Amino acid sequence: MYGGPNQPTDESTVPNEQPDSSRAYYVYCVAETEAAKQFATHSLPQAIEDDAALEWVAAGDLSALYSRVPLTSYDEVGLAEHLSDATWTAVRAMRHEQVVEYFAKRASVVPLRFGTIYLERSGIERMLAERANELKVIIERLRGREEWGVNVFFDRTVLLESITSISARLKELASDAAKASPGQSYLLQKKIDALKVDEARAEIVRLTGEIEQTLGEASEGARRLRVLKVEATEYGELKAKFAFLIKRVAFDEFRAAAEHLARENQASGVRLELTGPWPAYNFATEATNEEK
Amino acid sequence: MSSPFEQVLINGDVEQLETADLSLLETLDHVLSKGLVIAGEITISVADIELIFVGLNVLVTSVETAKKVVRERQTGNE
Repeated sequence: MYGGPNQPTDESTVPNEQPDSSRAYYVYCVAETEAAKQFATHSLPQAIEDDAALEWVAAGDLSALYSRVPLTSYDEVGLAEHLSDATWTAVRAMRHEQVVEYFAKRASVVPLRFGTIYLERSGIERMLAERANELKVIIERLRGREEWGVNVFFDRTVLLESITSISARLKELASDAAKASPGQSYLLQKKIDALKVDEARAEIVRLTGEIEQTLGEASEGARRLRVLKVEATEYGELKAKFAFLIKRVAFDEFRAAAEHLARENQASGVRLELTGPWPAYNFATEATNEEK
Repeated sequence: MSSPFEQVLINGDVEQLETADLSLLETLDHVLSKGLVIAGEITISVADIELIFVGLNVLVTSVETAKKVVRERQTGNE
């Protein structure tokens, strides 16, 4: 638990405009100091709270973007209370995203997760210094690149209708049933119906794997994400979600590859949804072995 | 069935959020559970993030609430 206002020790690092310990520092992303200098202060997006502007703090050639936030709302007690208010959280998360997006579009930045808060400016400086090497590696890895999400939907009705022509096993059974006596045909048909469900499931796994493989090759990194909603949408069921790291200059090729996959497999009831460009949240981790 | 392929641009664009609650949920998922984890002096734990997200998932499934979020966000921008 946060222990009280006994934290500030180095007064020299506290900026002049808010020299009080009632405000903490909310951090959004990290960029190179050279890149940070390019941003004029007047045209920046709104910070997470209305009453404070975005500012940079530099430590050598790295800078972090922050804004001041009231400690009563953002200390551990206050934050826990606010986070249980979904609307409060959603608004703040959207503002966080808006800020990171703005900078990610214009420079190579390391996007931080929502809710990284420092009590002192010097704490941010220390973090930048201690993690400089790791942060620089990530900045280089993300330069000129952005993240795109691919959502894979399957329309079950379409898939079950066409699975007989897709699956070799089902094709064989169907041809046997056509030649068989009425009694045998009945039994074979029951077998076919049961097998259809299994084969449809196998086709989803196969095609999802092919999408991951093909688009992974057309990108510089692939991550399989958790599936948020299991309920059916108008496009069918969401069966898989991926994030890909793509060079901006290679995006058209990636997009064409995704569209080609979708059209080629339309009979399986598949639908691909490409979302982005995102700040590279899924590729801003310490691990350098992003390729699976 | 419509086209098997669609590209949805995520621009933090308020207008777009009015029409697509999917992008709101996607955005919340990205922001809350992804990104470099740096131990700030106050940080939300991964377990807490998961819990928060469950709450948001419920919240965002209501289009009305999603619009409320968008409106609050617009108000904040003025």
